Amino acid sequence: MDLSLFLDPTYLGQNLVDGLSRGAVYSVFALGFTLIFGILDIVNLAHAATYMWCAFFGWIVLSVFGLPLPVALAASMGAGALVAIGLELVAFRPLRREGAEPLAPMISSLGASLILVSIAEAVFGSATRRFPGTVIDPKPLEFGGSGGLRVTWAQILILGVSLALMAALGWFIRKTRMGMAIRAVAASRKASQLLGINVNAVVMTTFAVAGALAGAAGILVGLMTNNIFPGMGAQIELRGLAVVILGGMGNIEGAVLGGLILGVVETFTIAYLPSGADLKDAVAFLILFLILWVKPTGLLGKSAGTRA
Amino acid sequence: MNADLDRLLINALLALSAFSTLHARQLSLASAGFMAIGAYTSAILVVKAGWPLFLALPGAVLVCGVVALIIGLPVLRLNDVYLAIATLGFGELVRIVIILNPDWTGGPTGANLSTGFGYEAMKQTQTWMLVAFLAFLIYLFHRMARSRTGRAFRAIRENPSAASTMGINVVGYRNFAFVLSALIAGAAGAFYAHAVGSLDSTDFKFSRAVDILSYAVLGGAGHWLGPLLGAGVLTELPILIRDGVGSSVDFLKNFVQLPNILDGLALMLAIVFLPGGLISLADRIPAWRTRSRRRTAGPPTAGVVAPSAVASGVVLTLEDVTRSFGGLTALSQVSFTLEAGRTYGLIGPNGAGKTTLVNLVSGLYRPTSGRILWKGREIRRWPAHRIAAEGIARTYQNIQLFSEMTVLENVVVGRHARIRTNLVTSWLHLPQENREEAAARTLALDLLRRLGLEAVADLPAGKLSYGDQRRVEIARALAQGPELLLLDEPAAGMNDVETERLAAFLLELKKTGLTLVVIEHHMDLIMKVSDELLVLNFGRLIAQGSPDTVSRKPTVIEAYLGKD
Repeated sequence: MDLSLFLDPTYLGQNLVDGLSRGAVYSVFALGFTLIFGILDIVNLAHAATYMWCAFFGWIVLSVFGLPLPVALAASMGAGALVAIGLELVAFRPLRREGAEPLAPMISSLGASLILVSIAEAVFGSATRRFPGTVIDPKPLEFGGSGGLRVTWAQILILGVSLALMAALGWFIRKTRMGMAIRAVAASRKASQLLGINVNAVVMTTFAVAGALAGAAGILVGLMTNNIFPGMGAQIELRGLAVVILGGMGNIEGAVLGGLILGVVETFTIAYLPSGADLKDAVAFLILFLILWVKPTGLLGKSAGTRA
Repeated sequence: MNADLDRLLINALLALSAFSTLHARQLSLASAGFMAIGAYTSAILVVKAGWPLFLALPGAVLVCGVVALIIGLPVLRLNDVYLAIATLGFGELVRIVIILNPDWTGGPTGANLSTGFGYEAMKQTQTWMLVAFLAFLIYLFHRMARSRTGRAFRAIRENPSAASTMGINVVGYRNFAFVLSALIAGAAGAFYAHAVGSLDSTDFKFSRAVDILSYAVLGGAGHWLGPLLGAGVLTELPILIRDGVGSSVDFLKNFVQLPNILDGLALMLAIVFLPGGLISLADRIPAWRTRSRRRTAGPPTAGVVAPSAVASGVVLTLEDVTRSFGGLTALSQVSFTLEAGRTYGLIGPNGAGKTTLVNLVSGLYRPTSGRILWKGREIRRWPAHRIAAEGIARTYQNIQLFSEMTVLENVVVGRHARIRTNLVTSWLHLPQENREEAAARTLALDLLRRLGLEAVADLPAGKLSYGDQRRVEIARALAQGPELLLLDEPAAGMNDVETERLAAFLLELKKTGLTLVVIEHHMDLIMKVSDELLVLNFGRLIAQGSPDTVSRKPTVIEAYLGKD
């Protein structure tokens, strides 16, 4: 580790900005995992496939139709919501019955994921697609002259959109009737049903919200890495899972915090460790494994993960 | 060389690897990762280190086993979801390690001629070796399914928590299943490397893990034959489609994603419409069903199950035991002692903490504070299976039988900790196993006879009436040969005649010197069998003493009837 670099405030600040914008995308993606886990106690393993399809959908809107970015973002979130609703209807709802194998929904979501990715491979091939260069001004803002802090418009947009989405989600969960219903179902599906809450409607809404977040994440990652291909889901899936475990399974604040931490740690790994760029992909797994050893409930988790 | 046959055999191995974890009701996505480790390790040992195949292959398999222990030990004590997550991450990590070490693995270009892995040096296995290895594995699984280990896995599969109170070390068995799964996947990988002659990290990407899982899910994880069927169908089906319909449809000829899509569809359709997999269809064939339900018991003996060792004096002591769930205190500073050979009636209104107390003593819950002493030893940190093995048995208020297993099998599961046969003896087919199994069955049948359940011994436990199921639970708990038996509402759901018979049975049981704790709302049953009463109200012990004195205590009357 190069200590003189570490002490340079501009370099440190630069990495912090890069890390936070990277992490914000992870948070948005991971929130989708955490919402579904919160109400159903299972992981939707097709979340990453949804995200990948949304990124392609955004690419089509931007490149093929030449529409502006806000339209692409809205369209991609809408597409994500639809895909997620479809998954709920096909892969999850049929398995919410008495006596069903507890692992069954995860297994069927894996099947759905494999199908979605395979179709994408068949349709788009393995070539990488990029958003058109006109989507966003590539010239970064510079603070403190040349050699100072550089913040790209993409980063500003990523941070702005992510924070806005997280704030909107927080408001939705806390202040709206549907948000309260979601929290009630998360606390106890059975009790909610007895109280007259339409559990299937609540679950479907949650899937729609989670899918929309996957859609937003697809566009934001497209802006960040400009790298859209059928296998892109696998790269973020592990990170998303590491984030929800780091933050505490099912914990919304935890997913936000965990995403930001992972983004910063990854960026610092690249910046400060020799051959850090190679190691960055392993960071998520190491965090995941460490937290499972040390504190499986996560940073903000409450319920014990240990079985009796 | 028959490449298609090799691939089929390797997929069959991989299916058995997935079966090993799925059978223990664990979702592992590590098979592709272990396959990669096995493949690359064996290739490196043969090509770079010059080891002969018969050493490199076992070496590679061993590496997989060690890695599996490192992953499994922290993760398998957690909820089911965590293994899926950790193994998904593990698979990605393996690929990263392969890509980042080109000197060893050929990196992203793969292990082939261009990176120093010669085809001739790599290509070493023959199809017969694969066949022999698969046959060997099938033998192991076949023997295991009939052994005490196989029965324990079936119990864990149906009800892990109940299995642990039968003395089955659930976390231990799951670790064993995970390591076994890794060993098989590693062997499959090593065979793959030496059958194909080159390696590429994309051979082991995430979709491979899902493919492997789909073999076991489509085939069914209830019996080892299932995954073999699944692997056969899903390996051959895409070939059939391509050669059949595909010969006339151009699109299908180059549709490389076809196998993956079929695997994905198989997963989704099987899990919804055929949760037991293809193998569950075999249950509809009468011959198969009677074969799998065959009873092999020795002649009946007139023995009575006695406690394994009759103790005297104080057996169980609770000191200031408190248990809270979040803000709710279910038990608050409860202290009492139980003396050997006596019968205690544990009573109190609903929600008083009676079942919580049983869960604490049997190790399903840990006390928030306080001490629990079993014959002088602190057991509050012991896992449930150890407590069961040390002589504390229980039944459940909400019946927790292994409902797919037969009544007899349920009771034999109770003998788990008393049967010493291990996997090695059953793999070697030593006579000790048959002896012990026959003894266990004889004893189980004896118990069933005494409880009037002999006629239903070969039925699935889930098919029985409520009252019969309660008696099966009692038989199963007695099969453990306990010194202390905790009965949680044994008469709930029984009619008057059944309740009376139960009372008579309990009185008979008392004579054997067993220490009993009976939770009941039927007061006449309690008064008939109890030497002493313990009364709980709002988590506190409000009275202890002889039935007569306790039932006259004002606090007790108040707890039951309210003030005024």
